[in-house]
Amino acid sequence: MMRRILSLTSGRIALGVLAVIALLALLGPLLAPQDPLATSGHTLANPSSAHWLGTDNLGRDVLSRLLDGSRVSVAGSLEVALTALVVGAIPGILSVYLGRAFEWVTLRLADTLVALPFLLFAVAVIALLGNGLTQAMLVTGALVSPLFYRVSRAATLAVARSQYVEAALISGASIGWVVRRHVWAKVLPSIAVALAQTIGVGFIIVSSLTFLGIGIQPPKPTWGGLLASDLGYLSYQPWAPLVPALLIMVTVWAANLLADTLRDVSGEAGRALINNRKAHADRRSKSDLVTTGGAR
Amino acid sequence: MPGRLMPRHPAPHASRLRPTALATVLLTVLVGALSACGGTASSAGGAATLKWASSYFPTHWDPVVGGSGAQFRELALVYASLTRTDETGKAVPDLAKSWEYNSKGDEITFHLRPGLKFSDGLPVDGAAVKAAIERAKKQKNSALFGDLTSIKSVDASGLDAVVHLTQVDYQIPQLLGERVLQIASPKAAADPGKLDQNPVGAGPFTITQLIPGTKAVLRKNPNYWDAKNIHIDNVELTSAPDASTVVSGLQTGVYNFADIEPSQAAAAKKAGLDVFVQPGFNASNISLNVNKAPFDNNKVVDAVRHAINRQEFVDKLTFGYGQVTDQPFPKGYVAYDPASQNNYPYDPGKSKKLLAEAGYKAGDLKLDLVIPAEDPQAEIVQSQLAAVGITVTIKIDKNWATPFFAKNLTFSLYSTTGRDSAVQTLTAHFGPNGPLNLSSPYEPAGFEAAVAKVRRTPLEAPDYTTVLRAATRAGLQSKALVFTYSAPNLIAKSKAISRLPKIPAHIDWTGVTISGSK
Repeated sequence: MMRRILSLTSGRIALGVLAVIALLALLGPLLAPQDPLATSGHTLANPSSAHWLGTDNLGRDVLSRLLDGSRVSVAGSLEVALTALVVGAIPGILSVYLGRAFEWVTLRLADTLVALPFLLFAVAVIALLGNGLTQAMLVTGALVSPLFYRVSRAATLAVARSQYVEAALISGASIGWVVRRHVWAKVLPSIAVALAQTIGVGFIIVSSLTFLGIGIQPPKPTWGGLLASDLGYLSYQPWAPLVPALLIMVTVWAANLLADTLRDVSGEAGRALINNRKAHADRRSKSDLVTTGGAR
Repeated sequence: MPGRLMPRHPAPHASRLRPTALATVLLTVLVGALSACGGTASSAGGAATLKWASSYFPTHWDPVVGGSGAQFRELALVYASLTRTDETGKAVPDLAKSWEYNSKGDEITFHLRPGLKFSDGLPVDGAAVKAAIERAKKQKNSALFGDLTSIKSVDASGLDAVVHLTQVDYQIPQLLGERVLQIASPKAAADPGKLDQNPVGAGPFTITQLIPGTKAVLRKNPNYWDAKNIHIDNVELTSAPDASTVVSGLQTGVYNFADIEPSQAAAAKKAGLDVFVQPGFNASNISLNVNKAPFDNNKVVDAVRHAINRQEFVDKLTFGYGQVTDQPFPKGYVAYDPASQNNYPYDPGKSKKLLAEAGYKAGDLKLDLVIPAEDPQAEIVQSQLAAVGITVTIKIDKNWATPFFAKNLTFSLYSTTGRDSAVQTLTAHFGPNGPLNLSSPYEPAGFEAAVAKVRRTPLEAPDYTTVLRAATRAGLQSKALVFTYSAPNLIAKSKAISRLPKIPAHIDWTGVTISGSK
């Protein structure tokens, strides 16, 4: 799969950007040139050699705060995506095999969760359980999970009705064996697409909550929080919100681009696409050889 | 081209569409031009409309529940009071045309103006005043009862209200002004829950529409006692959106008056708006609970006092519009005691030494600073205390008010807009039951006697200032409060609105005009 993704330019760009973001999340706090919490007398300073992205209203180094804040933003979005995956995909697959009652209950539950506005719900959870991003992201993940439920259920249904699966069941294969041997392989590409897409959605949710000052105790920096505080000083640093906004935008774009690429390269259609490209590239290299030879 | 919205080829009616499009453009330009001619001040019919974006949109419209915080300014649109203050901060007649004390000073009689009515038609008389005071003292959710401890009972006789006091107290005319006794119609106040959403007073305006927490529409009250000096016909009071968008709202005419953050002052000036500071009594403090560790140790309290660099608050938060203060009011106020100035200067070295004497090494002392919302003040406190070895964790608690006023917190922040009565300000901060004294029932030694002496001193007495400052000095012996800075009452308005009276801490619309209307 990775080879297929890397064979497309969009896949290479998406993975490249996300790899950089992941590195920022892992190493950002270590790479920060200054203490991201240390205030100074140089407030709202323009970019300089000492402060590459200037300083904020309390004189803190903006680059250090951006680097330090990357971990929270990335971890939050991953938390949403992984929670949604676990809560949604497993019942989605099982709903096909565990009988009508389970199917009916899980379908109604998925319908209910879709109806709940997740941002509002996350705010309510924080009000109820205290100001922390972890609980808000877990709840948001549960609310986003119907996407995984539906995707995995649809893929499982398609496989479950195929003749070779029915033949396997008649031959005495257990449901667990069928799921592991046939269903999982078919469901995985669809889940991978949904996962990449949900990471982007999770990023937007984390950024929105931290933009509103919810879920994070100050002075801990986050990209959304930096964007919000920069907006208060537009007349002094009109360019300042661009950096956190671009970081958020590029990350979400890369996650969506990866989802698109995964969709393009998965399944039979993906195999065909890759083969076509390979054939096209072969033809071009052959014709290049002929042209070169003719010129001699 | 998939998704194309326009036809590939010119439509057969294109020639007919062109004049229509031209007419639409002309109409748009005309409407825009006509709107511009109308100016930002006026609305339909040329009426003078004040469009006020407020950061303090009232959460309660019952003045008894609202208390004497910053929202009283908005409530004063609807409610009048017995007295108001003039530009020197002295009580002057409002609904009461005059008042006098008895010879002992423990009884005061207010004489109300004749012929006044609330907007529901009920007369403004002594009975209404009595009902208002009794409600403020007795209503279960009253935020004012603590301010009225000097009042024993009230007798009503026609247009007179006789207030019997528990002690000699010459502060009563200062106290019963817009901050503490905005008078509601007794009929409407019979159902406080309803009054909270349908305010009925005898102020300069009456409410015509109220969307809780968002918007209030008011029109001029022709029966207001000073209606001839109110030149504003309508008020649209809106809860201010994000601070960074208020200036844009003012610039585009969505509002023509707004309180703004100091960080927005430069943008407002650049946009051609009038930016001014209304005088006031604002003071911010760090509240310590001396009943709880580690502030039960005097050396830790003193270490915090010496660790605070007040100038940093002014520089970073007020953009040059505020000033440092180490007392519960700004410098220059009558109660400000110059003798107590800089009692605890910024000295991080001394702070570290005091902490060591108290048995704390750097990093040993860990504190939770509990605040209601994100506030850069907290981050400055955190950074200044970190510099002396105290680790502060900022905790945001949306239900902060409950533990704060129940005095359950150990360490917090509070900012006050002050009070018209200096004694009220002092007792609120230093009194044993003062709402802003996180260490209740603790009070500094000698404070009660000093305050009683102020109450016994008429405001016109030659030694009033001396006695008042002595009470401030006694209060400042309190270990429970570290005052930091005085934030400005910064306002931006359209140039169409005339200058406001410079009444400290108030926003008074008397005599204010809006040009371009009528």
